[in-house]
Amino acid sequence: MRLGIVGAGQSACTLATELIRGNFDGEILVFNGEPHRPYQRPPLSKSWLKMPADTNILLLLPEPIENHASIQWIGEWVKLIKPDSGEIYTEQATYRVDQIVLATGTRARRLTIKGLPPETGHVIRTLGDAERLRQHIDDAKNITIIGAGFLAFELAATLDHPDRIIRIVAKANRLLPQVSLKTADRLVGSSPASTLVDVKIESFDTVNKSLITNHGPVPADLVIIAAGAIPNTEIAERCGLGTAEGIATDEFMQTPHPKVSAIGEVSLHHQPHLGRSERVESISEANDSATTCAKRLLGHSEPFGAIPWFWSDQGQLKLQIAGLCARSDDETCLISTDADSVVIRHCGDRVTAVEAINAPKEFMAARRLFERGTVSLSALIKVGSVFDLLQSSRS
Amino acid sequence: MPQLNCIDPREQAIEVTFNPGETILQATHRAGVDGILAECGGGCSCATCHVILDHTWDGTLVGPSTQELDMLSFAVDPTPHSRLACQVELSDKHDGLSLSVAKRQY
Repeated sequence: MRLGIVGAGQSACTLATELIRGNFDGEILVFNGEPHRPYQRPPLSKSWLKMPADTNILLLLPEPIENHASIQWIGEWVKLIKPDSGEIYTEQATYRVDQIVLATGTRARRLTIKGLPPETGHVIRTLGDAERLRQHIDDAKNITIIGAGFLAFELAATLDHPDRIIRIVAKANRLLPQVSLKTADRLVGSSPASTLVDVKIESFDTVNKSLITNHGPVPADLVIIAAGAIPNTEIAERCGLGTAEGIATDEFMQTPHPKVSAIGEVSLHHQPHLGRSERVESISEANDSATTCAKRLLGHSEPFGAIPWFWSDQGQLKLQIAGLCARSDDETCLISTDADSVVIRHCGDRVTAVEAINAPKEFMAARRLFERGTVSLSALIKVGSVFDLLQSSRS
Repeated sequence: MPQLNCIDPREQAIEVTFNPGETILQATHRAGVDGILAECGGGCSCATCHVILDHTWDGTLVGPSTQELDMLSFAVDPTPHSRLACQVELSDKHDGLSLSVAKRQY
């Protein structure tokens, strides 16, 4: 079989690795439009940004996999696919394959801000973005980050420096809407950034180096836009697969076309833990969807059944989340001390997610409990901690 | 270049070279040592890069943090010499360090 993987990020690389380790009988073409060998994205907003300019980024693939004889690397962006004929078009050439896997991921949402010079406005998604940003950090005294999510707060923690003022401005009316109010309070409270919500940005004043907003001018000699990600669905949409929301697949990562699959952040499929379809942006989704797809291509299909999990480093705080919940799910604080906190998200008595700050045992216990099935809030409150509930269920 | 002596889960011995300043995970991952999953990419968040170090090297290493110990308690059959490969930074003095990769990460 000849397989074409469109993209070379986390999910694409996990798929290639799983196929090679599973003795895939065939040829794998990986289309990587970025001018870098496949690299790890999470460090870009964390430690890597602070390291010396000659620091190499961590590579995604072990050398024996990257250099494996079954893999052909194609350093071009894919423009178009034709599912019926299995054709993949780049600017330079056309390739014919038996199966196409779309692992196109997401891209940073860009905002058009009147007057913002290109060298002042940044996004951070690719290694190219991060390299460009890193060149401008040292000269910046006022850094303003636009966004309300984990990335905005991670960047603030990473860029924290006595000579800098860091501000986070958000269009939304609350910060970190992905997590409970309690967890968000903890993270916002420990952030070096000052924050503003309900912000409408009108323009950028190049003379005074400020963002002009409905709250008045916000000083910014560097602006980082961390306003979320957009799924790269255009290639799929052009052949009638997927919508702007994502590329819909079944629980085996197969799109409605028998020759096309989609994996990673771009794929929109049933999340058994959530009980409905949702596109999930996380490493666990990238790895688990790729593994599910690899199993199918290797001839031993198993439906997607993974429990999503997330983590984010925010300075001294390590947030780890097991499970996935709706933003409207209730929150109950289970543990709260000066050092750590554990907040349970639930829908009635059914626990949907556990948010743990500096509480890795609670996080890991929650993952184990979710893997076994439903977790009850009342049972959890009775024993007092997720870890104790796991222990009591073992005995 | 300094090197590590690794035993993978199938008892295969592999010599892995490293650059001082790298973690055990970075060196073994690049070399493609089997059995280290590192699902979180080295963020001390998944406990799937469990390795067991030769105890005679204990004195040369900075001990595990509470976070690492807590994560390790969820590894399969941890030992007193278990570590998460992503949390052990290597220097020149670790040339020749021996380790075995845990038989199972789950």
